[in-house]
Amino acid sequence: MSDSNNVGIKEGISLKPAQGYLEETVPPFTPFMAMEEASRCLLCYNPPCSEGCPADTNPGDFIRAIRFRNFMGAAEIIRSNNILGGVCARVCPYEKTCEGACERSGIDKPIQIGRLQRFITDYEKTTGFQVLEAPKATKEKVAMIGSGPASLSAAATLAMKGYPVTIFEEKEKAGGVLSYGIVPARLPQYVVDEEIEYVTNLGVEIKLNTKVGKDIFLEDLRKQGYKAIMLGAGMQISRTLDVPGKELNGVTTAVEYLAKARSNSSDFNAGKHVVVIGGGDVALDCATTARLKDADSVTVLYRRTREEAPANRQELEYTESLGINFAFTLSPAVFEGENGKVTVVKANGTRSKSAMKLEADTVVFAIGQQPEDFSKIIEGIGLDKNNFVTSLENGITNIPDIFVAGDIDLNAKKTVVNSVQGGKIAAASIEKYLQKGGK
Amino acid sequence: MAKHADLSIDFLGFKCENPFFLSSSPVSGTYEMCSKFLEAGGGGVFYKTLTTTIPEECSPRFDASKKEGTPFISFKNMEQTSDKPYKDNLEAMRKLKKNYPNKLIIGSIMGMDEENWEEMARDYTELGIDMLELNFSCPQMTYEGMGSDVGASVELIDKYVRAVRRGSNLPLIAKMTPNIEKMEIPARAAINAGAQAISTINTIKAITAMDFDHFTALPVINGKSSISGMSGKATKPIALRFITNMAQDPELQGIPLSGIGGIENWEDAAEFIMAGASNVQFTTSVMQYGYRIVEDMISGLSIYLAEKGFEKLEDFVGIALKNIIPADDLERDFKIQPKIDYDKCVGCGRCYISCFDGAHQAIEWDNEKRKPTIDEEKCVGCQLCLHVCPVYDCITPGKITFKEEDQFGKGSLTDWKEDTVNKRDIIVGEYKRP
Repeated sequence: MSDSNNVGIKEGISLKPAQGYLEETVPPFTPFMAMEEASRCLLCYNPPCSEGCPADTNPGDFIRAIRFRNFMGAAEIIRSNNILGGVCARVCPYEKTCEGACERSGIDKPIQIGRLQRFITDYEKTTGFQVLEAPKATKEKVAMIGSGPASLSAAATLAMKGYPVTIFEEKEKAGGVLSYGIVPARLPQYVVDEEIEYVTNLGVEIKLNTKVGKDIFLEDLRKQGYKAIMLGAGMQISRTLDVPGKELNGVTTAVEYLAKARSNSSDFNAGKHVVVIGGGDVALDCATTARLKDADSVTVLYRRTREEAPANRQELEYTESLGINFAFTLSPAVFEGENGKVTVVKANGTRSKSAMKLEADTVVFAIGQQPEDFSKIIEGIGLDKNNFVTSLENGITNIPDIFVAGDIDLNAKKTVVNSVQGGKIAAASIEKYLQKGGK
Repeated sequence: MAKHADLSIDFLGFKCENPFFLSSSPVSGTYEMCSKFLEAGGGGVFYKTLTTTIPEECSPRFDASKKEGTPFISFKNMEQTSDKPYKDNLEAMRKLKKNYPNKLIIGSIMGMDEENWEEMARDYTELGIDMLELNFSCPQMTYEGMGSDVGASVELIDKYVRAVRRGSNLPLIAKMTPNIEKMEIPARAAINAGAQAISTINTIKAITAMDFDHFTALPVINGKSSISGMSGKATKPIALRFITNMAQDPELQGIPLSGIGGIENWEDAAEFIMAGASNVQFTTSVMQYGYRIVEDMISGLSIYLAEKGFEKLEDFVGIALKNIIPADDLERDFKIQPKIDYDKCVGCGRCYISCFDGAHQAIEWDNEKRKPTIDEEKCVGCQLCLHVCPVYDCITPGKITFKEEDQFGKGSLTDWKEDTVNKRDIIVGEYKRP
């Protein structure tokens, strides 16, 4: 007989996930597998996958290049369109972008475009093949605030055109959401570091531990000769719900929880019984983090149904495979605690009179994020009530030398791949502005 | 952007932008078709062969052979020369040269008799195109004494090259047939009669498949079929052999070669160039995938050459020729035994089956553990297992051993030792290409 702790657990199924917190979930393609997968591609005319990519990474062309044994050409296609090709290969919501548009679905299932892209960007790195080489940076100086995907993409685009770019990052590590907001099982840190290195190799400078508005001010940047400044600071503040008990210890937010876990901070405690509130990819990342960091029970509470959850389906299935519980159409009603520490989450049905009581020592809000308030740092910048920058179009703001891209842009779709594209577009606007002599 | 080598290369005095051409075939049969290819980046076109009389065609006229899940690997074509009016085709070639002065435009001729060859050569020369290709090799002509019948006859080649020479001062390229044992003989005849270059191969006489209900070959033309020309990827090894033969023939030294046969990507093209071709032509891959394939040929070859440190394509032409030697000149005093990476091995047993059934029974199989083990005593280093293993980088070349010299100075059959003294270097070939 198995011991009492394992009652009800099927023999051979471990309580602990086999995978480590730092281990990448999806294994890489070998060259054989990549060729096989690429040969499944129907090589469509005007490939819908390419139209499906928000950052114009052009999967139709790079898969065709793989199919015709032109791996380096494939790397060139990816890298010259998407500086964060290796990152996007791992975190893109493919099912809504390229793979969602794949015509092969009409036969069986879409080409695994993300994995092929990852194969090529890995290949590029292991062979030491250098696609991009920046010209001498002789043009006007440009500054970026924040070092997330939008800034990295904009900086690389401008560096390739001969602009010297400096990125100001408040944290000790560059990468923004890539380094602080995603579970390593989905995006290992070395991938982020390598792609940042790619950008700095183009001549882009990143100043860490430098918060604009505290360590350096906007007027300083202007005085130092920065002719254009792009705001790419992302969404730093987690939204929470007004639930009684939310001030209890153990109640935290996704931004904080993921950042602490990721930077391996010693005061990070995953919790034993974790409740995550939300139904998006960030909520799944929190749940996965908890589980891979050895929490005993993890429950995701979401106010709508599984079908309505915005999270990526593959990620959802993967999360379930780790033994994470999901409770749909439930919303937290009250957090109860002892000695100032949360112990119980009570939730009510959103579409029925159901009620649920869960033991919890950790509660994570993952119901969305918003930017910090930049109204004092960049005086006069147009913001909506949630602190998003009300850009006009193409990253242009109401202040001539201030541009915006990424999640902080009200008009942007909040994904990494959209931020890459946003960065490229804002870079084009900056170039246009500087070419006209800063008018 | 990545570094790209210059792909421009000379062909009979014409500076070609790159070495990628359409062969004279269904894919180069109108102005619009050729133009689309040139716009996609192609270096030039061999316009579809004309005859002064339009041939009658059959329907259907194609078949293809496949293997497992692959796209077709060889293709059978029964189409003959152009089915468009002669005059219209001439105008198309004239317009191509006018609108694409920097691209190589070549007309392909097939005459019926000496007079006809000469007359056509005159007509073509007036168009302002760059060169003429003489089609001595189409295997599906329905008229006797045309196509590959000519390519097999030294007398006819001599007669027709001279006839064309009378009608034209343009450079002449003789397109040879592979349906013959020694291509050098007709090729020399063509050069001696006044041709400047050789292009090959044309299609191989073949039957791709049979029909199981109507008991004939495919395609079925009202219950019947015929032997005709096969092309596509499967013909590449034969074509590479012929190009190598041409390039190594002492009497053909310095004669430019244009390589044809199963080319669908830059690696295929590079192989022909290594074997001595200064440019390549293709058709079947275009029929399958469209003119756009030239984009990856240009990108792939120019990046590869730059990465390898070649500044210009010319330096790459024929680079493999000195390393392709008669089989009896190869060193035969060592063996490279394979090794199995057990971390990668999935236990399929394919190496065991192939070694037992197709080689030297040198792999033992533990059925309990599903594990193959190489018996070093029995293994002769043929490496069949490496080729059949479906796992990437699992079976690789391993230990190198040398024949022990016995007292008579000849290697014995059984003693193989590692060379720990001289540490002789043995070059191991590429084995991981997917």
